[in-house]
Amino acid sequence: MMADDEIERLDPETEYLMSKRRAGNEWEMFKENVRPLKRGRNVNLLNTALNAHNHNRLKKSLLDNRRRLIEAIDEYKGDDPLLPWLECIKWVQESFPPGGDCSGLVVIYEQCVRTFWHSERYKDDLRYLKVWLEYADNCVDADVIYGFLDANGIGRTHSTFYISYALYMESKNKIKAANEIFDLGISRNAQPMAKLKDAYRKFLARSMRRPKVTEQDSTEKQLPVRSFGTVLANGENRVRSSLSELSTKNLKPEKTGEAAFTIYKDSTATDDDCPQQPDVSKRELHSLHPLGPRAERNKENNAIPGKWTAYQIPQQPGIRTVGASASACIPVFVDEDCDDRREVKTGGCKSSSLVNRREADQDMKRETELLRKKPLRNFPQNSLPR
Amino acid sequence: MAARTVAKDIITLRGSAAIVSEFFGYAANSILYNRGVYPEESFAKVKKYGLPMLLTQDEGVKSFIADLTAQLSQWLEAGKLQRIVLVIMSKATGEVLERWNFSIETDSEVVEKGVSREKSDKEIMREIQAIMRQIASSITYLPCLDETCVFDVLAYTDKDVAVPFTWVESDPKLIANPQMVKLHSFDTKIHKVDTLVSYKNDEWEEQ
Repeated sequence: MMADDEIERLDPETEYLMSKRRAGNEWEMFKENVRPLKRGRNVNLLNTALNAHNHNRLKKSLLDNRRRLIEAIDEYKGDDPLLPWLECIKWVQESFPPGGDCSGLVVIYEQCVRTFWHSERYKDDLRYLKVWLEYADNCVDADVIYGFLDANGIGRTHSTFYISYALYMESKNKIKAANEIFDLGISRNAQPMAKLKDAYRKFLARSMRRPKVTEQDSTEKQLPVRSFGTVLANGENRVRSSLSELSTKNLKPEKTGEAAFTIYKDSTATDDDCPQQPDVSKRELHSLHPLGPRAERNKENNAIPGKWTAYQIPQQPGIRTVGASASACIPVFVDEDCDDRREVKTGGCKSSSLVNRREADQDMKRETELLRKKPLRNFPQNSLPR
Repeated sequence: MAARTVAKDIITLRGSAAIVSEFFGYAANSILYNRGVYPEESFAKVKKYGLPMLLTQDEGVKSFIADLTAQLSQWLEAGKLQRIVLVIMSKATGEVLERWNFSIETDSEVVEKGVSREKSDKEIMREIQAIMRQIASSITYLPCLDETCVFDVLAYTDKDVAVPFTWVESDPKLIANPQMVKLHSFDTKIHKVDTLVSYKNDEWEEQ
């Protein structure tokens, strides 16, 4: 298209290019440390924040600033009590670009949503809904949150609610449930409808491309239980002993939470590698004929990778060398600035319950961890949907 | 030996126009890929500017961009192109969400007198590479485009340019009160290209 008569009038972009205002390049220098935000970021704030996190002195002022904003929530006297919360959240998001536990964001989200959950006034407030959805994004068990919102009628007029809910269900492979949520949103005439329908169309297109097996939510449970040990060589036996202890702390606990992880081994390999075990290879050959459904064959490609945080390699006392036998405890190194931070916080907190809560980073990290797993743990029991 | 080195660093209007229009083609592809305007699968990787770049394999988009760059290089050779803007809009509402603005300053002496300038390809490539890197990392501050989007290209030309028949007059499709980020520039010594991206200010009330 052409817009050739617009040159004389100065639009904001031309004005900006002509002015010598320039933003710093920190956003590019430290791009690995920035968590993309749904709403985008203000580059100047981003640059300042990235700079601050690299200088201890500036970092302190950042923490002071956060404390002030939290105090402002308590001191707010206006007629929109949600507002100071939003300002605080937005500021923290912009000022702690990597997100993470240190920002305290999860704790702030939780306190915000808990403050207003019973308030009729904010039930249909898009801003309030967005705090909830951002909280859900940060939690492992977002199921509970969406169920709570639905049961309490929070955000039910907004298509964003249904889109987030359905996409979350889709990510958990609950395709049918996701479909129902889209339907529900459309039948409730959530706004803006165009956006909801657009998301629904995309979802349907994805569903078409998806292989059949994943459409049944229960497929995973129907998979036959594997037995181990028949083809493993002696040296690999230690894997077996620890299998039962495994549980993966994963962002998708539904898939990996309870099941111990499983190791697959190509049964054909034993054919060539271990000719001295004719009986085994024979059995393997026979069992090869029914290859099983596609999902069964490809499972090592489809498994969702998770952190092995809970995996402990069993100690073998016999292997230990003499040097390592001394049970000297290893001193935990504490970063200088981490120490400072704790002082700042304990020194500064007074009125706000929120500040008191987070007297130490340790507390906040623990709380964040707990909330991630059980987002509604601080809510009264009777408010939860049954 | 010396003579050859010198010859390589000479840049003509025509060569410069080719570099700039080619740059725009790659930049447009990169934006469409990085901003998810078209599905990831419809792009293929090539090596360009010392970087892995992605090019659309969608025939429609491909020929659109090919026609576009051909037209641009014509205008650039005539020194009549002032600005080119890639606009990303919501498909559902038509609202403008993002504008990638490439402003071009042409050395008028080169156009009028047909003289040439000196700058090595290598140096120009390095400058372009920096811009491409910035486009790829712009995700750090740009809002997520979570709806189906379409794009359009606006060309700001001199007034005496006749509108080619595949083009139509357009309003400027500006964003009210935008956030703006200036990216790196590159300069062929004949065309200087400034890059800027503007996007919607974030609001809690935003649907």
